Amino acid sequence: MNIDNRVAIENDKARVDARPKVTGAAKFTADIQMKNMMYAAFLRFPYGSGELIEADVEAAKSVPGVIEVEVTAPRKAGYVGANIGYVAGESRRAVQDGLAALKPKFRRGEARSHAADFSEGPAKLSEGDQARMDALFSKGAAVVQATYSTQVQTHSALETHGGVVDHRGDSAEVWGSTQGTFAYLDGIAGACELDASKVVVHNEFVGGGFGAKFGPDAEGTLAARLSMKHKRPCRVMLNRFEEHLDAGNRPGSIQHMKIAAAKDGKLLGGTIHIEGVVGYRKGGGDATNPALYEFGNVVKSGSEITLNAGRPRAFRAPGWPQGVFAVESMMDELAAKLGMDPVAFRLLNEKSARRRKQLEIGAEIFGWNRRKPDGTWPGVVKHGFGVAGAEWPTWPTKAGADIDLFRSGKVEVRAGVQDIGTGTMTVVADVAAYELGIPREMIVPRVGNSTFPEGPGSGGSQVTRSVAPAIMDAAKQIREQLTELVQEKWDGAKVSYAKGVFSEQGGSRSLKWEEACSLMSGQKLTASGRIKQEYIREGISDGVQFFEVAVDTETGVVRVVKVVAIQSVGRAVNRLMLENQICGGVTQGISYALFEDRWLDGPTGGMVNPNLEFYKIAGAKDIPEIIPIIDATPEDTGVRPVGEPCTIPPAGAIANAVANAIGARVRSIPITPQRVLEALATKGARS
Amino acid sequence: MKPFDFAVAESIEGTMTALADGWRPKAGGIDLLDRLKERTEESDKFVSILRVDECGKGVEAGADAIRVGALTTLREISENADLGKHASAFAQACGSAATPQLRAVATLGGNLCQRPRCWYFRQEAFPCLKKGGGTCFAVDGENHFHALFGGGPCHIVHPSNAAPPLIAMDATIEIRKGAEMRSVPAAEFFVLPSKNLMAENILGPDELITGVTIPRNVVKSAWVDVKQRQSYDWPLAACAVARVGGKWNVILAGVAPIPWRARKAEEVLAGADALSDELAASAAEAALDGAEPMAHNAWRLAIVKAAVRRALLKADGRSTESA
Repeated sequence: MNIDNRVAIENDKARVDARPKVTGAAKFTADIQMKNMMYAAFLRFPYGSGELIEADVEAAKSVPGVIEVEVTAPRKAGYVGANIGYVAGESRRAVQDGLAALKPKFRRGEARSHAADFSEGPAKLSEGDQARMDALFSKGAAVVQATYSTQVQTHSALETHGGVVDHRGDSAEVWGSTQGTFAYLDGIAGACELDASKVVVHNEFVGGGFGAKFGPDAEGTLAARLSMKHKRPCRVMLNRFEEHLDAGNRPGSIQHMKIAAAKDGKLLGGTIHIEGVVGYRKGGGDATNPALYEFGNVVKSGSEITLNAGRPRAFRAPGWPQGVFAVESMMDELAAKLGMDPVAFRLLNEKSARRRKQLEIGAEIFGWNRRKPDGTWPGVVKHGFGVAGAEWPTWPTKAGADIDLFRSGKVEVRAGVQDIGTGTMTVVADVAAYELGIPREMIVPRVGNSTFPEGPGSGGSQVTRSVAPAIMDAAKQIREQLTELVQEKWDGAKVSYAKGVFSEQGGSRSLKWEEACSLMSGQKLTASGRIKQEYIREGISDGVQFFEVAVDTETGVVRVVKVVAIQSVGRAVNRLMLENQICGGVTQGISYALFEDRWLDGPTGGMVNPNLEFYKIAGAKDIPEIIPIIDATPEDTGVRPVGEPCTIPPAGAIANAVANAIGARVRSIPITPQRVLEALATKGARS
Repeated sequence: MKPFDFAVAESIEGTMTALADGWRPKAGGIDLLDRLKERTEESDKFVSILRVDECGKGVEAGADAIRVGALTTLREISENADLGKHASAFAQACGSAATPQLRAVATLGGNLCQRPRCWYFRQEAFPCLKKGGGTCFAVDGENHFHALFGGGPCHIVHPSNAAPPLIAMDATIEIRKGAEMRSVPAAEFFVLPSKNLMAENILGPDELITGVTIPRNVVKSAWVDVKQRQSYDWPLAACAVARVGGKWNVILAGVAPIPWRARKAEEVLAGADALSDELAASAAEAALDGAEPMAHNAWRLAIVKAAVRRALLKADGRSTESA
């Protein structure tokens, strides 16, 4: 079946918004300043649990510039960062001084801070399951029982959560740092007590969002309420401290696995019990395990460990990076026990034919044959090699786009979807340029505005695949309208169009794009496109990544040396944007595997690293050579999700590479010098 | 951020009068800005000293010593050829601190006087000993990156990269008070929390560091730091070594509330003419003498050892492997 949303395959033009972004001309929500604007900020509970016992509300109210204080003491709090009131004022300074003047006194309660203290170990099986599993394990040539744990990772988008709301009585203008224009519209209209038709959300530029930035949340809602009440614009942006504590995170996990494989290398099955490490109440802690491979007969169970801390929210490929870290670690442990090469072992058990191909090709490009047996690399600094895979589904979503074609030949494309930094604006221009057959420079792409046609939020890596067909649909209509004008001029002659030129079929007449456009009697032609049912099809994006690391066995420091990342993308739209998404996913995965960690103080439950100094994110010097390989699969259905799958494999691949390097396994991420040294010491004690 | 008064000094007399009147000096402002944002800085009056030459401009290469003004940036130090040759440990340490952006602004004086980066000290919510509270939260808390040596009752590690090499090279620190100048050995500048909880050095509120002087009899020196993250991180442990005259000085960094002299390591090295691999290894082992690890930081001792051995070999011009 020929599904024709395949576009611009060799396009590699730079992003359309590169210049405004590097010059600062791009205005983010955090940049919005309005006349007569007021500010507000929350009071946050600094410990794991306890109570606000007193706060000097009168002192806060008397601070010059403070407009409103909403703090009630005593008040119980159940997690670090809990929002326990707010101060509103004329300026940021007034708000901060107001918060300081509260001189809040807290009573600290018992805090649940460290997940390991509350782990109950593998699940107790029912008698029947136990008997079944015992029989299975007795058949295994290799049986590995291991516990893998992953940390809590905070989203840490560069632009924090927040919004600016200008409530004008019967309408409202809103700026939101959101990855879902229309989810934000829905939430903010409710908070403003207005119909959505009376509210405009602007989010043309958004400084990142990884799954926790859809609706307006407490901050947008507060801005809306205050703006409505005081009849003036109000801005509420979280600071970095709040962003770490109360804006969502990837849950941690403790994954207990016992898996058997047969002598021929086939997985037989086993038990998997996931303890999700969540926030102050249960929910959201599952990890995607088993995954990727034909695991055989598996008994899976799960429970959750609550901590006195902020709760999980969707975070890039929710559930996957943590699950696949454990899955891929287990795969290598089994392969080692069977004496098999990790790639060969995966080829035997891989579910996806495409990933099998990627494994074979990738191994060659990467130079997998350089891999030595575990722990045998000579010298103090040992190199190791690891591999891991990823998959990500495509699911149906609706999207629309409008195109205006002006007499001058210039085009404006409007889509309400947001560009959170991924390059949506660029892709919108590229798709329209390709479909209209004109240079991209003639197109003004506009995104991130709720008055434009609706499209999906940036969740599940579905924006490009949803909006591209809508633009194509609109472009097709525009082409047809223009063709009709030409046909009219040529007295009904048959007209064909390609690459900016209309030609008479069987004749000699031709017209350039601009000449054809000048035939318009009015100023512009307009078309509305939408994604057609035929484009809405399910499918899988597959990826495999190979990692080489260097481990300093005296200091435990791990450096990633080289990465080959192969990713199936369906149809490639813009090569630079694609490579950028692949490298970005790998980078975030390296950061997760080696550095990022929400660190809670044991006794008090306070977060000791609510900043970007000790909440470590990979920096430029931590990023190696990354070779992105675009596995374009034109037999597939159009554009495929790319952003999220690429962030899934790094933790597992790095853990495997480290184990290969040092001959000892670190079963917890982040893989810190401390953990590497401890693994080496344990190995030394054993041998 | 906490509101504050800000003035710009135009003369050395004005600067010193301002300090005597309770104003605090602001040079690069790197650490100060953090503390203002964290609301952990007590003062609310700051005077910029950047325009005053006498506060420490420039590097003067003398026949017997090199004087480095306190306003010299870490970048200028790391790129100075004379320092690179005759005070390698110092140039290397300054070039390894923070990020290129910060090094371009951060000054030597500020680096020596910056407050500790302890994650309890840095947060308003933890009323720790150093902030006048009653508890060192590190003792029962997350002390993975706290002191291995010399801790108690407060367990910070000193964050300066510039100080350990200066001590290793027998440098002196020049201090001005009013119109008076005095000079103290860098080794005597810092004080342990057991002596003074509220400050990390002997500098009085009305005093200013104006420069340091590094003698030219440093034969060789080197700096090695070990960081978890290669971009912008504080060392897990570091070591500055220098051979001054006929003696090795070995100063550990990032492991104690002050730059920490590894006396036993120096004793092991004393008297030996050539530095063999075995001698470097024994000195590294000896450097751990007196360590008092806390509940969660003993793993860093291995890193201290590696840093000492590698620094000695590096100073001796031998290559060492590192990731």
